Amino acid sequence: MNLMTNPAAAAVTVDPITLQVIRGSFETIAEEMGHVLYRMSFSSIIRESQDLGAGLFDVNFNTLCESESTPMHIGSIPGYLRGIAQTLEDDEWYEGDVVVHNHPYYGASHTPDLAIVVPVFFQGRLVGFAGNTAHHVDIGAATPGLIIDVPDVYAEGMLFAGTKLYRKGQPNTSMWNYIRRNSRAAQQLVADIEAQVASARLGAKRFVELLEKYGEDMVFAAANQLMDYAERMTRQRISEIPDGDYVAEGWLDDDGRNRDKQLKVKVTVRVRGDEVEVDLTGSADQTPTAYNVPFEGSTKVAAYAGFRKLLLDAATSDTRVPSNEGSFRPIKVTAPLGSIFNPKAPASAEARFTQCNRMIDLILRALAPVMPDRVIAGSSASISFAAYSGVRPSGDYWVFLEVNEGAYGGRPRSDGPDCIDNLMANTRNNPLEDLAMHIPMICDRYELRDDLPPGAGEFRGGIGVVKAQRVLTPAFITHESERHTDAPWGIFGGHDGVVGRCTITNPAKPGELREMPSKFSGLAVQADDVMTYYSPNGGGYGDPLNRPPIKVLEDVLDGFCTLSHAREVYGVAIDLDAETVDMAATEKLRANLRKHR
Amino acid sequence: MARIGVDVGGTNTDLVLECAKGVFYHKVPTTLKNQSIGVVDGVQGICRKAGIAPSEVETIVHGTTTATNITIEHNGAECGMITSEGFRDILHIGRHKRPYNFSLHFDVPWQSQPLVKRRNRISVSERILPPSGDVATPLDEQAVRDACALFRKRGINSVVIGFMFAFLNDAHERRAKEIVLEEMPDAYVTLSSEVAKVMREYERFSTAAMNSYVGPKTAFYLRDLDARLREAGVTSKLRIMQSNGGVSTVEACAKRPIRILMSGPAGGVIGGASEGAMAGEANIITVDIGGTSADISTIPGGSVKIMNPRDTYVSGHPVLTPMIDLVTIGAGGGSVAYIDEAGAFHVGPRSAGSEPGPACYGRGGTEPTVTDAQIVLGRLDPDMALGGDLKLDAALSHKAIEEKIARPLGMTVKEAALGIIKIINNNMALAIRSNSVARGIDPREFSIMPFGGAGPLHGVALAEAMSCKDVIVPVAPGITAAVGLLKTDLQYEHTEAVIVELMKAGPADYARINAAVATLRDRVQAELDGDDIPRDQQTITVIAECRYHGQGFELRAAMPEGPVTSENRHVITDSFHDQHQQDYGYSYRTAEVELITLRAIGSAAVRRIEIPTIAPTDGSSIDRALMFVRPTTFDDGRTLETPRYDRTKLFAGDRVPGPALLHQHNATTLVPPGYVAETLDYGNTRIRPVGA
Repeated sequence: MNLMTNPAAAAVTVDPITLQVIRGSFETIAEEMGHVLYRMSFSSIIRESQDLGAGLFDVNFNTLCESESTPMHIGSIPGYLRGIAQTLEDDEWYEGDVVVHNHPYYGASHTPDLAIVVPVFFQGRLVGFAGNTAHHVDIGAATPGLIIDVPDVYAEGMLFAGTKLYRKGQPNTSMWNYIRRNSRAAQQLVADIEAQVASARLGAKRFVELLEKYGEDMVFAAANQLMDYAERMTRQRISEIPDGDYVAEGWLDDDGRNRDKQLKVKVTVRVRGDEVEVDLTGSADQTPTAYNVPFEGSTKVAAYAGFRKLLLDAATSDTRVPSNEGSFRPIKVTAPLGSIFNPKAPASAEARFTQCNRMIDLILRALAPVMPDRVIAGSSASISFAAYSGVRPSGDYWVFLEVNEGAYGGRPRSDGPDCIDNLMANTRNNPLEDLAMHIPMICDRYELRDDLPPGAGEFRGGIGVVKAQRVLTPAFITHESERHTDAPWGIFGGHDGVVGRCTITNPAKPGELREMPSKFSGLAVQADDVMTYYSPNGGGYGDPLNRPPIKVLEDVLDGFCTLSHAREVYGVAIDLDAETVDMAATEKLRANLRKHR
Repeated sequence: MARIGVDVGGTNTDLVLECAKGVFYHKVPTTLKNQSIGVVDGVQGICRKAGIAPSEVETIVHGTTTATNITIEHNGAECGMITSEGFRDILHIGRHKRPYNFSLHFDVPWQSQPLVKRRNRISVSERILPPSGDVATPLDEQAVRDACALFRKRGINSVVIGFMFAFLNDAHERRAKEIVLEEMPDAYVTLSSEVAKVMREYERFSTAAMNSYVGPKTAFYLRDLDARLREAGVTSKLRIMQSNGGVSTVEACAKRPIRILMSGPAGGVIGGASEGAMAGEANIITVDIGGTSADISTIPGGSVKIMNPRDTYVSGHPVLTPMIDLVTIGAGGGSVAYIDEAGAFHVGPRSAGSEPGPACYGRGGTEPTVTDAQIVLGRLDPDMALGGDLKLDAALSHKAIEEKIARPLGMTVKEAALGIIKIINNNMALAIRSNSVARGIDPREFSIMPFGGAGPLHGVALAEAMSCKDVIVPVAPGITAAVGLLKTDLQYEHTEAVIVELMKAGPADYARINAAVATLRDRVQAELDGDDIPRDQQTITVIAECRYHGQGFELRAAMPEGPVTSENRHVITDSFHDQHQQDYGYSYRTAEVELITLRAIGSAAVRRIEIPTIAPTDGSSIDRALMFVRPTTFDDGRTLETPRYDRTKLFAGDRVPGPALLHQHNATTLVPPGYVAETLDYGNTRIRPVGA
């Protein structure tokens, strides 16, 4: 189970104390790399949303450490490194090189996530890599910011494969010029790449300092032991799940072009001893649009992350498991080539997030019967990723990417959190005031969704968001979202949540309302048009009649639940004036509801 | 005239008194329910000790955790909020980022423990437009009155008013306050534009809500304390330590209790900075080690750093108020050592606290802690804790480490104890690194200053791990925070949002900047005037918080002398580029620099405590201070017969070679072999390698 990276390291046994010391150093270096990157960067998707990852890697591309930024990046960089190995300019690394890479058929997560990688040399030999990934606003794709309805991967913009931005410390000025001429947001793109370079170089410097302090053999032996440790922890948890094949299915709305065709996601979880396989066979074929998932850089990463949440819950366990390759080893991911989770070139595969979130949601659903107090009910398990853009009077583009939040399903011991990034997403929103001071947009509404209730349950589902963004000048919108047709599932007696929704209106045209599909590309909108997004509400966990009446009262007072919903679904009678529960009436209502089931 | 510093901690209330007769120290148990009982008791006690009447005390400076504890115990005021239509849930949504990446069962503190419940967040029609600040929709005044009626019905008397874009135009917030005070004359009201007139709605609203949440109780505590002191015959001025390291008045803090949320640790950092000056060292890293946690702060060039406002959180809620830049980690004497299910060896962050406490306390604790490891290694003498006031049982320490660590890992008890110390020291070293190296500071130019009773046991190991130049042990390590209270200035801060792209700025922009500076100066001056500080003793500094256009995080830049003009605006931009280079190792010299916030800091020097010097050495042997000799184990694994010296019997210029322990009532200092401890002028100590 030990992947040897350095033969001399195999001979070294690291005592448990030094092991913790080196582990702490690794974690600090990764955090420092991430910190520099997001504090320095210019585009809101990196600096506010923190859509980035950073870490150190050995020569066999094992992750030694990684920053705690957003989950979709964590574990994705080894795929990039394998892709770079196949495509590297000069076919070799020199000290002082800096490589940029984003090719989805050479390991990238998706094209806007550029990786910057710096080789780490120690005593004249290549010993590892420092690298990071970050989501860029615009890399010159077919439509500004995001894409969905495009023919192939070449419509995604600039493709980089093993491209050297610096060779032996010297900048490749033609490449920098090329980049500057091929983006609608060139200034941000270039400055953000510079921030990535600063972060990667810092990581390389710290890596060398660590090697100097403890010696190469000791550091890599410790890295190997830490991977073994993470692997052991994961195997122990898997072995607690009864062996078996667990299956769940769900439906995606459409591929962003063929509106009438839902796409199936089928997840089979095979548990055998201390190993598990996630088999996506039976899921839809690859789509003709960008709605596909790169296998190496995204499908596998999402499956690993799903098990990490389920088995090594950071909030409920005393011990943290290091962020490295070890926890991935007992997990096998299978998706047939040519399917939505493993497309064949030259299919486009940029819009891949919602499928990943749905896969995790279905892994939980599949395992629910055997892990009832570890799983949660169905979450929004989608994302709303909106690209707003327009042309300023100067002729320059403005492009703004916004990640909207979702809601969690009810949980065995608590309600699903409301209005929060879901599963693989974990970004920050953009301060609305900052936004309106700098781009021709203004937010009209940002609140909890109150048009439809969350899934009822002993522990109710989380409540989604309603966000209405108005453009002040003519603009383009591309929106990557999901779940307008298949509501988040309730479980163990909990009710289903509700589906998402997206509308376009204009205050000057009252009564006119356009219901939008969950995905649309490059839509031209007029000044004062408002896009309103409603994220799905989570499903409930457990029987609503077991919800303590006081909690139902609290929900009614807080406007999370109507009086009639309290009565009809929860069997709770409330005196709104006195702000109390009528206990006698409640008991009667509940007895009656139970009888008529 | 006498002055008293009183610092309330979780267990003890520490006091220091300075008067013509000298400097006195005192400790009383903290009265957790109402800290003022212990404070008054302590003040009376220390006056007796010094032999002065309470009426002779001119000033009392107080560091308090009252406001902080409200946020930890979630027992603040039930608040109502009046906010803009369409934005009722800004406080519930926050920044929509989860506290954990990999978890399904996480808690969301701003949702599970909201500062204002949704039922009490009432949105009213009004709208101010960016970027001009013009009123697009007037305030619906009747809706404000209706909200007040609801608050009255619910018995709510603490109100937050937060409107979108109030940082551009606060007219609606101010009008709403007038209405609220008409409807609810006794209400405690906080406006978002008063507490943090800056862009970013969630952070501004959260700051205002936190103020109203902790406000009524904190105000009550401060006024009650003031009254009790008067009853006890103390007529002195009462001053409160703020999170930014400056002191303020009872009335100002009662109105803005968010300014004292970090009052407790601030005293320690200020105390550390002044101890640095006493030792002639400007560059100090303070490490304040308590029972459950350690506070670490880097002080370059003698000036305490203030945190970036984007990083100031209290109990999971952002609070935009100046706080001393410090990191707190779960590493202290009570940190528990354990082996996890996959065999890894951890120390902390969980703590045994004071109940049951470390195994050696004999209060039923069976898990080994850092303190137990110190006992096993002979670094703490079980009969000498708190000068012998606290009896510790070494056998229980030995047993706990043997059973829980040594046997499972196949080590000796000594190896296991050394491992516990090594891991906890490493955790602290990594936190020091995040507060220093990670921000462009070279620790080789810094001294480690350890305090808290057990701090000086860790000093040399931390200095080694960080390659710091030496270790400075303060005069009274157990009471450094209380001393710090008497070393600080009055300080007030105000902010104005002024968003200007500096390279493109024209005459109108400069006029806006200069008008805002004038307003800020007036406001700060008014506060200092209110404290009867003569104008010629007031110092007002204005800072420009800037970022590269398009970035999201501001850094502080210097302002030119006099009004900003096209000729001198480069002072701001140059200073910003330099700061960016310093913090991130990179700057974009040709990029546009955007001013976001102007901040004025007004201060007035207060007379500082003068610690008396001690007698210089008379050339006699240090044996005069020798207490006894016992075995002690050091980091290299050697166990050596180690002399214990009474630190209070050492003279300035005395040099104690390691191995040695220096004992005093509230602290123990470890001097490993190869090091020498030199007693300095005030009874403070410098430890460095022999020959260095």
